[in-house]
Amino acid sequence: MKKVNDSKRTYMLITIPILALFVCFNTVPLIRGVIYSFTNFKGFGTYDFVGFRNYLDLFTDPRIGGSYLFTIKLAVVATILTNVISLLLALGLNSKIKGKTFLRAAYFVPNVLGALVVGYIFQYFFTYILPGLGDALGIDALGGSMLSNSKTAWIAIVIVCAWQSIAMNTIIYISGLQTVPEDVYEAGDLDGATGWKKFRYLTFPLIIPFFTINMVLCVKNFLMVFDQIMAMTKGGPEQSTESISYLIYNNGLSGGSFGYQSANAVVFFIVIVAISVAQMTISSKKEEQL
Amino acid sequence: MKRKNAISAVLAVAMLTAAILPGCSSGGDSGVTEIEILQYKPEAATYFDQVEEQFNASHDDIHLTISSPNDASTILRTRFIREDYPDIIGIGGDINYSYYVDADILADVSDYPGLADVKQSYLDILENLEITPKDGTYGVPYVANAAGILYNKDMFEEHGWEIPESWGELIDLCEEIKAEGILPFYFGFRDTWTCLAPWNSLAVDLAPADTCQRVNAGETTFSKEYVEVAEKCLELVSYGPEDPFAYGYNDACTAFANGESAMYPIGSYAVPQILSVNPEMNIDSFVTPGNDDASKNTLNSGVDLMFAVTAECENKEAAYEVLDFLMEDANIQAYIDDQNAVPCKDGDFDLAPMLDGMTSFIESGNMTDYQDHYYPSEMAADALIQTYLINKDADAFLKDFDTRWQRYNRDIIRAVQEYNEEHGTAE
Repeated sequence: MKKVNDSKRTYMLITIPILALFVCFNTVPLIRGVIYSFTNFKGFGTYDFVGFRNYLDLFTDPRIGGSYLFTIKLAVVATILTNVISLLLALGLNSKIKGKTFLRAAYFVPNVLGALVVGYIFQYFFTYILPGLGDALGIDALGGSMLSNSKTAWIAIVIVCAWQSIAMNTIIYISGLQTVPEDVYEAGDLDGATGWKKFRYLTFPLIIPFFTINMVLCVKNFLMVFDQIMAMTKGGPEQSTESISYLIYNNGLSGGSFGYQSANAVVFFIVIVAISVAQMTISSKKEEQL
Repeated sequence: MKRKNAISAVLAVAMLTAAILPGCSSGGDSGVTEIEILQYKPEAATYFDQVEEQFNASHDDIHLTISSPNDASTILRTRFIREDYPDIIGIGGDINYSYYVDADILADVSDYPGLADVKQSYLDILENLEITPKDGTYGVPYVANAAGILYNKDMFEEHGWEIPESWGELIDLCEEIKAEGILPFYFGFRDTWTCLAPWNSLAVDLAPADTCQRVNAGETTFSKEYVEVAEKCLELVSYGPEDPFAYGYNDACTAFANGESAMYPIGSYAVPQILSVNPEMNIDSFVTPGNDDASKNTLNSGVDLMFAVTAECENKEAAYEVLDFLMEDANIQAYIDDQNAVPCKDGDFDLAPMLDGMTSFIESGNMTDYQDHYYPSEMAADALIQTYLINKDADAFLKDFDTRWQRYNRDIIRAVQEYNEEHGTAE
């Protein structure tokens, strides 16, 4: 038997309990979830194994399909919106302007507020203030509540999601911009790189790692959107804003389809892993090193 | 060496787990029996806090704890899955009760003497909720609710409007109210569950009471039974605000309280909320007249709260003593004063004034259980109804209702049909 040296043993002693905890509270529940996904478990009482019935049902259930469509649509639009706006904000807040520190703090406030609180405030805004404003200005498009129309409700959710996550993304971009050394810009100046060109060929390539992390975080957060739905629409109107997480919670825990929604959760897990891995590989190829 | 590490790791985990999960203590040493009630009505929490206090003050041998959490059905499920059962659960007479009975979570309480005082119609309602007929009684009905149409009494008196007794009269009344420049109804359909209020109160009038059971037995479809309900529900909504889907339940209660509409089709449970906005308001209610023949109309009333002893309860006698205390006339009266409920117990109780318009139905026992008590919540019938009220396509809605019913009730339907094959169709 090979003799284990002391430092190795110390590392093992640190790692194994953490690993054990991780397995206990993360892996075991995950495996149990997978097992439940093959049953007709209601969340309590007895259950039978039903084989792949839940998985087959998933693909014929228009409600599941609708929730995937809504969630993906929301994730894509909100991710683009969030990243464009927060990159612009970060560029502004990183330049030499007055009251920079105050503005940075102010733009960070949405991130401090709870998503439920924000949701309830925006619900009031969309139900009363915006239509009131529309009436006062004579704009018909704003006359009705955005949340009561299945064509516009998802846009309202996008706005709230983006509004809140822009704060964190801006901070990440600002810290990224600060890693770009001044001499790169000086060299660029000599070559005549200004304005858009400066951003396109100097700044952006150097902050790609931050762009990557923002994209991955955004997509993952928006795919798992839940609080905003809970506060603003509860999945309505016409079930048009039922996100996947909302459906899993609502039908699996409050309703009696624990087994079926476990299957949904397993599929959703695979989808998120696949998307995240794909994102990481694509953007890591584009990263530049100084 | 390796082995020693493994042992220490296991120990570390065991210690942590022990620290994180406090053991389920039973505290049986002192000779005091612990009874825990978990009930699902957070709005009645003050009442139950009082009951808990009074009970503990007057009983030395039993210590009672009552919790009234939000979202109790989710909490119950998580506790059931850990096999940590409260002794008594306070739940509504809906599909959850059916599930719990079917899962053998509840104990048979037919030997509880207090059942003799409970009105038979409510015991029948519980019986009907059992997925497949089962011997015994599994809950003690406590209070019922009644849903119909709430109206602004002062406004009605001022304009000399009469309470309608048939569908035709209701529509005439709505036209009359509209002609005076007042909104007949208010709705808060952004909160999807409120779509069920007008739906249920029309469904008891217009569809057979056993519709859902017969669908499960494969004898009929909703497309056949719900046509008139769907049609009339839509007609009611046309007398509401321009965009009822913009407002939530709170908005609708506030608007009705401020006199923005003459009527509000919702259950009696909304009254405390309405009064909190306008304490001076004079509210009464009437039974939704779905039929043109007034004698066919019935009150939409179900078991709003019942107490069920769990099968795991160790001391059934102590649990019965707690139930006796809850069933004392004074306590029931306090509950119905607080919550505007209808008692399930026989006896002389003073009903809340907002139930005046329904008293004749309550006294004669002309009541029918909510149809939605048979709908599985994950089917989201309320959202289906909301969708229908928005896009107004009755055929598509009813077809969708049938398809989803089959999908979400598959296991129930199989159980019912197996039972019927074994026992022959009893009904």
